[in-house]
Amino acid sequence: MKVSLNWLKDYIDLEDITIEQIVDKLTYAGLEIEEVVDQAKLYENIVVGYVKERKKHPNADKLSLCIVNDGSRDYSVICGAPNVAQGQKVPFAKIGAVIPSNGLKIEKVKLRGEVSEGMICSEKELSISDNHEGIMVLDSSFEVGNPFSKVMSLDDVILDIAITPNRADALSHIGIARDLAALFKKKLKIPQIELEEIEEDSAKYASVEIIDTENCPRYVAKVVLNVEIKESPDWLKKRIESIGLRPINNVVDVTNFVLYEVGQPLHAFDLDKLAGNKIIVKKADKGDKFVTLDSKERILSESDLMICDAEKPVAIAGVMGGENSEVTNETKNILLESAFFNPSSIRKTAKRLGLQADASYRFERGVDYNITVWAAKRAAQLIAMTAGGKVCKSEIDVYPRPFEKKSVELRYERIKKILGYDIEKETVKKIFTNLGFGLNEQGKSLKLDIPSFRHDIEREIDLIEEVARIYGYDKIPEVEKISVTLEEKIDQSENNDCIRNILNSLGFYEILTNSLLKEEIAREYGNPIGVINPQSAEMSHLRPSLIPGMLQAISNNIKVNEKNLQLFEIGKVFQKINDRIETFEDFKESEHLIIALTGNAVEDEWYEKERRFDFYDLKGFTTTFLNKYLPGAEFEIMRLDSDKFEYGMQILLSGELIVWGGKLDGRLLKPFEIQQDVFATVFDLDRINSVEQKIPEFRELLKFPKVFRDFAFILDSEIEAGEVIKVIRNVSSNLLHHVKLFDIFQSESLGMDKKSLAFRLEYYDGSRTLTEEEVDKEFRRAIKAVEEKFNAKLRGI
Amino acid sequence: MIDKITEARKEFDTFVSNIRDLKALEELRLKFLSRKGIIQNFFEEFKNLPPAEKRNVGKILNELKNYTQTVYDELKEKLESQKKKTGHFVDITLPGRKRQIGSKHLITQTLDEIKSIFKGLGFSVYEGPELESDYNNFEALNFPDDHPARDMQDTFFINDKFLLRTHTSPVQIRLMSQKKPPIRAIMPGKVFRNEAISAKSYCLFHQVEGLYVDKDVTFAELKGTLVSFIKQYFGHDVKYRFRTSFFPFTEPSAEMDVWWQPKGKEGRWLEVLGCGMVDPNVLKNVGIDPEEYVGYAFGMGIERTAMRKYGIDDIRILFDSDLRFLNQF
Repeated sequence: MKVSLNWLKDYIDLEDITIEQIVDKLTYAGLEIEEVVDQAKLYENIVVGYVKERKKHPNADKLSLCIVNDGSRDYSVICGAPNVAQGQKVPFAKIGAVIPSNGLKIEKVKLRGEVSEGMICSEKELSISDNHEGIMVLDSSFEVGNPFSKVMSLDDVILDIAITPNRADALSHIGIARDLAALFKKKLKIPQIELEEIEEDSAKYASVEIIDTENCPRYVAKVVLNVEIKESPDWLKKRIESIGLRPINNVVDVTNFVLYEVGQPLHAFDLDKLAGNKIIVKKADKGDKFVTLDSKERILSESDLMICDAEKPVAIAGVMGGENSEVTNETKNILLESAFFNPSSIRKTAKRLGLQADASYRFERGVDYNITVWAAKRAAQLIAMTAGGKVCKSEIDVYPRPFEKKSVELRYERIKKILGYDIEKETVKKIFTNLGFGLNEQGKSLKLDIPSFRHDIEREIDLIEEVARIYGYDKIPEVEKISVTLEEKIDQSENNDCIRNILNSLGFYEILTNSLLKEEIAREYGNPIGVINPQSAEMSHLRPSLIPGMLQAISNNIKVNEKNLQLFEIGKVFQKINDRIETFEDFKESEHLIIALTGNAVEDEWYEKERRFDFYDLKGFTTTFLNKYLPGAEFEIMRLDSDKFEYGMQILLSGELIVWGGKLDGRLLKPFEIQQDVFATVFDLDRINSVEQKIPEFRELLKFPKVFRDFAFILDSEIEAGEVIKVIRNVSSNLLHHVKLFDIFQSESLGMDKKSLAFRLEYYDGSRTLTEEEVDKEFRRAIKAVEEKFNAKLRGI
Repeated sequence: MIDKITEARKEFDTFVSNIRDLKALEELRLKFLSRKGIIQNFFEEFKNLPPAEKRNVGKILNELKNYTQTVYDELKEKLESQKKKTGHFVDITLPGRKRQIGSKHLITQTLDEIKSIFKGLGFSVYEGPELESDYNNFEALNFPDDHPARDMQDTFFINDKFLLRTHTSPVQIRLMSQKKPPIRAIMPGKVFRNEAISAKSYCLFHQVEGLYVDKDVTFAELKGTLVSFIKQYFGHDVKYRFRTSFFPFTEPSAEMDVWWQPKGKEGRWLEVLGCGMVDPNVLKNVGIDPEEYVGYAFGMGIERTAMRKYGIDDIRILFDSDLRFLNQF
C-alpha cells in the first residue's frame, strides 16, 4: 500500500522525525517498507527554466533550438515539441537530471550538429500525467531557477508498505499514523467533522433493509442532495495521485480519499437510480446476471451478498458497484454507503469473480465496525466541500447485530514467560494506550478493551505480540546460552546422506528434477495423481517414477553436448491406489533412488580405447552400491521381465523386490528425443531403509593360506554362467569360498553356439592349512558336476 | 703437448660431471674416445714427436687413455642399470588415468551445512510426506478456512482435502502429535508453490524448519539460537536484525534479515528466515497445553540461501541437471 508522508502529517506530528527513523520503526514493527520515493530527489536538477529564444534547428525541420535560462546562465537546448515558445516558463532538466518516467540521464549531446545542454520536459516525462502532446508549460509567476519539485509542491515522500494479512487496521493513513503514534510516543489527531446539515433527515429520502444480517451486521447510509459532479480540487487530486490512483470526479475521489484515510470502503449510489429509493441487502439468486461498473456481465451465485433496490441488484456488496446505479456527470442526489460486511462472504465472492479491489481487500480482512458512521459523515463533509451539495441530517444506521465489546486479560508474568524478558508495567500500559486500547488495571494483570479496528487481537498471546512489536524486537536481548534437551537425537535424513556419499565416490552426480509431469508421460509409469490447478498441462501430474525426470535430465544434457553421464536422484514418487483420494491410504508416496548411465564409460585416451556404458557397468555399480550400503545382506539377482526395459535385472532381499534396472526401452526414450542407450536402476528406498542395519561383527583375519584352482569348460552358449557357479557351489563343501568367472571366450574353433567359461575357485579353512589332496578332491567333484550337468567339456586346468 | 693433455683431462672431468643420461655419455665418447676423438688425435701427434719426448709423453697419454676409458665404462654401466630399473622412459607430462568423483546437488550441500549446524545445537532431524492433508498443511497450523492468510502461499491442490505441502510445517504437526515435549528438531524437505516458473521462482523448492517445545522456551532463546546459527553460517561479523512479521502458526512472529553487501554494489537487508513462538492454537490442535508448554519455530528457504552464497541469479539452473553446472560444486 502506498502511503504519503504529507498526508500522514494530517494525523500525527512528525516534524522532528527523519524519514529513515520512520522507515526503520515501521519495518521493525511489522509494517515493512518496500520502497521509499522521495519526490525532491526524484526531481533533482529539474528547475524552472525560462525560454529566452526559440528558433528553428538549422538541420531538422521538426526540432527547435532554444535558449533556456535557469536564473544563472543561458543553455542551448534542442526541443522536439511543437508548443515550445519564447517567453514560456518550463520544467528544465539540467545535465545530471534523471527523467522520472524513464530513468534517462541527461547529458550534453549533439543533435544534428547542434549542442543540447538539457531537456524541456513533458508532463508524462515528469510522471505528472499521461500527457505527452507537448512540453509542460509552467505558471508564469514561478521564479526562474527554483526547483521544480518546490514550485509544484512535489515535496512528498511516498512509502510503499507491505501489510501482512493480520493487520487490516493498518490499511489506511490513520492506521499507519496510529502505529507511528505508539512507536514515537506521539498523539494521534483524528479530524473533527463539523457538518452543515439541512433539516431533512436522510431517512426522508431513502430506506435500508438488511435481510442477510449475518453477512451484513451493519449498514449506514447518508444522503447528500444537489451535488455538482466535476473535477476534484487540486488538494484532493494531489492526495489521490500521491498514492498512485487516478482522480475521476469529486464524489468518487472523496470516497477513495476516505477509504485511504480511515480504511472504510464507501460506495456512492445515484439516489435517483435506486428504485423505491430503497436499499435491500440480501443474497443473490443463483444464475442472476449483473453488470458491474467495469461494464462486464457477472453471473451470480446464491452465496453472493448483493445490494439491491426495490426492484433489482445495484451492487455486489463490498466488491463492485453496478453500472445501473453509477454516479455520472448528471447525478444530482447521492446515497453514501458505509457498511460492515462479513469478511469470509466478501472473500468468497471476490475470489470467485476474480475481482480484488481496494474495497474487498479491506472487507475481507475486516474493517472497523465502529467507524461506519464517522466515515459516512466524513465523506458527506468532503462532498459538500467539493461538490457543493446539501447534506441531510443524521444517518440511516441499520445495525441488527451489534458487535460485542471484546476485552482480553494480559498477565504480566506471561509476558516474561513468552518473551524471556521483563518489560516494565508502565511501558506496557503506555503501549496499549497509544494503540487505542482501553485499560483496566487488575493487580497482576491488565484487562484490555480491544478497539473495534483490531480484529487480529483475540487472545493474551496477541497482546504479548503487540507489546513486543512496539517495544521493539531488537530490544529483547538474546540469551547467552541455549538449552539442549537430554532426549535421544534422531536424524531421519542420515540414510540418504550415506547413499549420496557412496554414489559420489562411484562417480555419480546428484540431480533434482521436477516432481510434476505431463499426464501422458506420467501415465506410462503407473496411475498418477493429478493436480486440480496446475500451472500448465506440461506439469499436471505427480511423478509415479523417477525415470522420466532422469530422461529429461539426460535429454537436457545431450542438447548441450554433454553425452557421457552418470547421474542419480533421490526423491518421492506417487501412485494412486484408489480413484478418490480421501485418506492417506488411498495413495502411496514412496522414496526412490535412481541411478543412470549413458554414453561412454571411457573415452578415447592415450591408455585406453573408447567404450560405451553397458548393462554390466550398471550391474557393477548397482551391486557395489548395495554391498556397501547394506553390508552382509544377501541379495537374489534375477532376470527382469518388464516393458520398461529391453533387458534387465531385479534384485530381491528376503524375497522382497527392492531394486530393478536394466537397459531402458527405446519407447521410453522417444518423447525425450534421446538416441543413445540409457541404463538405469531404481531402488525402493522405503524398503531398503527398513532393513535393519546390523552392526557388523568382527571376523578373525585368515591365518592360513588360500588355495586356488582354475578350470575352463566348453559348453552351450545359452547356458548362464550363474547356473554353472550354482552347480559348482552345490557340490562343494564349505572349503570353497569364492568362484570367480575370469574369462569368456567364443570362436569358430570352439564350434557353433559354443563358448568357453573359465573359473577360478578359492579354497581355504579358517582353522588349518588345507592339504593338496583334499582340495583336489573338491576340485574334481566340481569338474564332474559341471561336465555332467551341462554336457560341458573340460578345456584346460 | 703435456699441457694440452692436462687441459684435455680437465675438460673431460667437467664434461663428465654434467652427464645425466646415455645420450650425453655418447657425446662424451664421440668427443674423447672415438677414432676421431681428442685422445686418438693426441696419439697421431705423438707419432711425430722426437724420441726424447716420446717416453715421457707416452706415459701421460696412456694414463689419460686408461683413465677416460675407465670413467666412461663405469658411467655407462651406472646409466644403463638406471634405465633397467624404470624399465622404460617415464613421460610424467602424460595425463593420469581418469577417475571421477560425483557431487551432491548444491541444494543438498546447502542443506547439509545447515543440518550440521543445528545438529551441533542439539536438534534432531525429521522428515515427512510431500503430499499432505489440508488439515496438516493449513488447518492445524491455524490457517482458518477462507482467510486471506491462505493467499500467502499459492497451493497445488489434489482435491479439497489433499494438496502438495506449501511448507515443511506439517512435519511439526506430525511430530507434536506423536511425541511428547521436549521436542527439539529441524525438518528439511521439498515444498511446492503454485507459481509460474521464472528466474525468480520455481514450482518447488526446499525448506528447513525448526521447532523447540518445552516448558521454558522463550523468544529470547529463539533469538539466541538463530543468532548462533547465522554466525556459524555467514560468519561471526554478520549484521542482522529481527523485525515483526505475520505467520498464522506463530505469535509473536518475526523475520530475520542479514545485511548483504555485494562487492561494488549498494548493501541491503535480505530476509533469511521467518520465525516466532508457536501459536497456542497450534499447540492446542496437537494436544499440548499452551499454558504449560511454550514453543518456538523457524523456517528458511534453501534455494535462496544457496543462490545468494554462490552468486546464482536464475533458480531454474538448479533443476536443469546440466552437468556443466553440477560439476562446478
